[in-house]
Amino acid sequence: MSSLAVQKAPSAAGTTGAAQGRPPLRRRIALVPTLTLVIGAIYTLLPVAWVVIASTKSGHELFSTFTFLPGTGFADNLKDLNAYRDGVYWKWMGNSALYAGLGALLSTCVSAFSGYALAMYRFRGREAMFNILLAGVLMPPIILAVPQYLLLAKADLTDSYLSVLLPQILSPYGVYLARIYASAAVPADVVEAGRMDGASEWRIFTRVALPMMIPGLVTVFLFQFVAVWNNFLLPYIMLSDDEKFPITLGLYTLLEQGANTPALYTLVITGAFLAVIPLIALFLVIQRFWSLDLLSGAVKS
Amino acid sequence: MTTARRRSYGVKGAPYAFLLPATILFALFFALPIGYAVYLSFRKVHVSGLGLGSGARKEVWAGLENYTGALTDSELAHGALRVLGYGCIVVPVMLGLALLFALMLDSDKVRFTPFTRLAIFLPYAIPGVVAALMWGFLYLPDVSPFYYVLEKLHMPQPDLLDGGPLYLAMSNIAVWGGTGFNMIVIYTSLRSIPAEVYEAAKLDGATPLQIALKIKIPMVAPSLVLTFFFSIIATLQVFNEPMTLKPLTNSLPLTWSPLMNVYQDAFRKGDIYQAAAEAVIIAVATLVLSFGFLRAANRRQKQEAAR
Amino acid sequence: MPNTKRTRLVASTIAVALGATALAACGSSDSDSKTESGPVSLTYWTWTPGMDKVVDLWNKGPGKKDQITVTVKKQASGDTLVTKILTAHKAKKAPDLVQAEYQALPTLVSNDALADIAKDVGDAKSKFAEGVWQQTTLGTDAVYAVPQDIGPMMFYYRQDLFKKYGLTVPTTWEQFAQTARALKKKAPDKDLTTFSANDSGLFAGLAQQAGAKWWTTSGDKWKVGINDAATKKVADFWGGLVKEGAIDNQPMYTPSWNKALNTGKQIAWVSAVWAPGTLTTAAPDTKGKWAMAPLPQWSAGQSVTGSWGGSSTAVTTDSAHQAAAAKFAAWLNTDGGALQALAKDSGIYPAATNAQTSGAFTQPPAYFSNQSDFYTKAAAIAKTTAPSAWGPNVNVAYATFNDAFGAAAKNKSDFAAALDKMQADTVADLKKQGFGVSQ
Repeated sequence: MSSLAVQKAPSAAGTTGAAQGRPPLRRRIALVPTLTLVIGAIYTLLPVAWVVIASTKSGHELFSTFTFLPGTGFADNLKDLNAYRDGVYWKWMGNSALYAGLGALLSTCVSAFSGYALAMYRFRGREAMFNILLAGVLMPPIILAVPQYLLLAKADLTDSYLSVLLPQILSPYGVYLARIYASAAVPADVVEAGRMDGASEWRIFTRVALPMMIPGLVTVFLFQFVAVWNNFLLPYIMLSDDEKFPITLGLYTLLEQGANTPALYTLVITGAFLAVIPLIALFLVIQRFWSLDLLSGAVKS
Repeated sequence: MTTARRRSYGVKGAPYAFLLPATILFALFFALPIGYAVYLSFRKVHVSGLGLGSGARKEVWAGLENYTGALTDSELAHGALRVLGYGCIVVPVMLGLALLFALMLDSDKVRFTPFTRLAIFLPYAIPGVVAALMWGFLYLPDVSPFYYVLEKLHMPQPDLLDGGPLYLAMSNIAVWGGTGFNMIVIYTSLRSIPAEVYEAAKLDGATPLQIALKIKIPMVAPSLVLTFFFSIIATLQVFNEPMTLKPLTNSLPLTWSPLMNVYQDAFRKGDIYQAAAEAVIIAVATLVLSFGFLRAANRRQKQEAAR
Repeated sequence: MPNTKRTRLVASTIAVALGATALAACGSSDSDSKTESGPVSLTYWTWTPGMDKVVDLWNKGPGKKDQITVTVKKQASGDTLVTKILTAHKAKKAPDLVQAEYQALPTLVSNDALADIAKDVGDAKSKFAEGVWQQTTLGTDAVYAVPQDIGPMMFYYRQDLFKKYGLTVPTTWEQFAQTARALKKKAPDKDLTTFSANDSGLFAGLAQQAGAKWWTTSGDKWKVGINDAATKKVADFWGGLVKEGAIDNQPMYTPSWNKALNTGKQIAWVSAVWAPGTLTTAAPDTKGKWAMAPLPQWSAGQSVTGSWGGSSTAVTTDSAHQAAAAKFAAWLNTDGGALQALAKDSGIYPAATNAQTSGAFTQPPAYFSNQSDFYTKAAAIAKTTAPSAWGPNVNVAYATFNDAFGAAAKNKSDFAAALDKMQADTVADLKKQGFGVSQ
């Protein structure tokens, strides 16, 4: 296992070292890649900017002022959102954090186990098992929500936190991703070396393979977190108590209040804007783990 | 001897133990509901008389009725064609951009990557209800800042929400929302390639472009296959993008994509049986297309490995 | 019914696997304990904002006395809520009380989801207009819900712009068409209004005003009359206006539509009594510039209107305390204090006739402060609501409407053809389900 750490450490140092220590061979900034990415960022951020700007507009300004002109109502929107049903918005935020955080964590664990097993072992039924797991994504989720409801109702679990959490733990996508990352990041000879040293399979997995899989696993975590955070139909079918709603469902109830009540656009937009902030924070934390330096450090210690 | 046997037993049993949680969850939350949905697809409700009062409604066997109904539904077939056209735009553009951005992120001396990486990924986090409102503000001529600019420049102002441009408008939403996601998949894969693999090529004087084409892309091929596979499935199950634009235009029927048809039958018409049959058909079609692709991709990889 | 051997097997597998050993709550609570004893707690699915405050009045007042506590579970309104209720009902887990739009009642009743509460609602019937009450009985002796709010249709117009362009308020549809044309002549970039295909309720209300009866029964058969003469007249009228370009053909409730109302690009709106709320968000800059008038009529001197929106409170068959739930439903929609609170906290227009002119409705809505007799007029118009006739697959008809009329409005093609498609699809669906259908 130490052989890999030795192998990887200099390579990681090599990439960063080139940027810092050594004198620049050509230019300090690679112009083409940087420019391409900045253009890409502008393309994606332009609509996002709308959400940010719209959240500053009062209901009166939203439909009457120029689209990208900031408004003056952000504080009021925030206050209204806070006041809506005694601050139930924050409860939705908390629920979403719980569903997405715990769900993604469990999902990442399950994906890591499965991906590692599928990548590192040769055993009977491996491909069949993998294909069956994958086939799980073929059935459109919108048709599964009703049977899932009926089945959970038999176990008396509907309208509970578990009813939203449990069906989202297994992610075929996460398993597939974990398998690819495991086979790319964990060399077979390192695992073999661990076995020679007499380590148990579990120990090899947790001490050797897992640290190497971290960049891939944080990616799985990120995707699963966002997927659960944005899921709408499953909680819609499962939950009836709005104290248990996640943010997507809560915002939807603000929008659809029946014909005689106007949709609360400003609240929904401000709510959506605030709901993106935790995701940005998560992303910022997670992108640190994509660095190989950290990985090799973890392996060494 | 005994320790060796025990160890080999441990090795043999280990993969099954590691797969146990996934298997249980799969059985409970995928296999059972899928089985139930398939069962429902062979059922129907039979109402007698006016259908008022209790007991007037019975669930009975439908045989293949729901399937023949779905297969002869011209809207479902049209939806499939529309989605194929849409997929031909979305998949290449989205994955092309994702690969391009991932390679750029991974290149040397590129700046602002924490920011650009986050920015390109961010659309993935905008919830659907807000996206509909947002694209309304950007696409509808009366309120769009782009039309405002076009008008000031005396340029032609195409109707984005009708005919051919509608496909572009919808594809744009998918590309905007999905590129960052796929970029991260490919990028994570690129990061797991040990750098000394390129060091040799660099010493041989290979340009960054050559390194990208000859080394990086082949090495992330499994991730590309993965993103392609899931993009095909996502395309065939396209739902969010047309639902986003639906309230803004008369040109988008509620049955625009096959999955919208399923949703319409299950959630608006309340015919879960018909919807289940349609879902099974879509699943089978997706199976053929996506696993067919996976097979072909695997065969090619094996051939290349053998060469 | 899902209680086949297979699903039971499935259920027990799930239960064992999840470690949910105590399944006692499942299935045993179905017994109809009609006689109340001891405290009862009820759940209520509603989308009405502020309903929790109104329910508090009950829980602290009559509910406390009778030991009946109601808990509000706020839902999103919309087409999918009916499916959600039916899914819950399939699992025998529907809440005790649900809010349901009138046109959804036959669907819910035909799924055996709603309980007959005729003997538990007392003299509630006398508090409502006959046309409103009849929607909750489906023409039978049973009572499936208590009316909550109604949406009598009215004509809204920009008073200042009508004056500016020298237009008079149309009292017949013929005049309405002439007004649209006159406006086009004077200001080609303006529209009187739009024909929108994204809210079927509007078209249904217009047809209802013209005397259409979309679903009727004879014996044990349904008769579908979506393309009857009255509805055809309405479809041809609007189709003609769209075709000649006298009105716009873009959908309502888009940012574009909001802007058109706010900037005076569209100067009138055929809507219902709840319009002030919508206009407040859609066109905030034009506050005080609008006025309300009765809907134009098909022949001069008539006064009939349709309804668009409105909902009722129903008790489900899954409820173990149907009598208690019915008692609450009746209180909520007939008690003076409750109605007052519903008007104030939830902004609904009550179905109960005496509430329409009381308390909260002595002042006009803020948006219409210029029209002091707004609610007096509204109450008078509400009395002229034509009877409506809903059937068990309104959702199918509505879904077809969206697509067929959406395409017809876009292509400016024949609305009658779209109407025929709506009729054909609705009949086909009834037949497919096995309903008795007479041609």
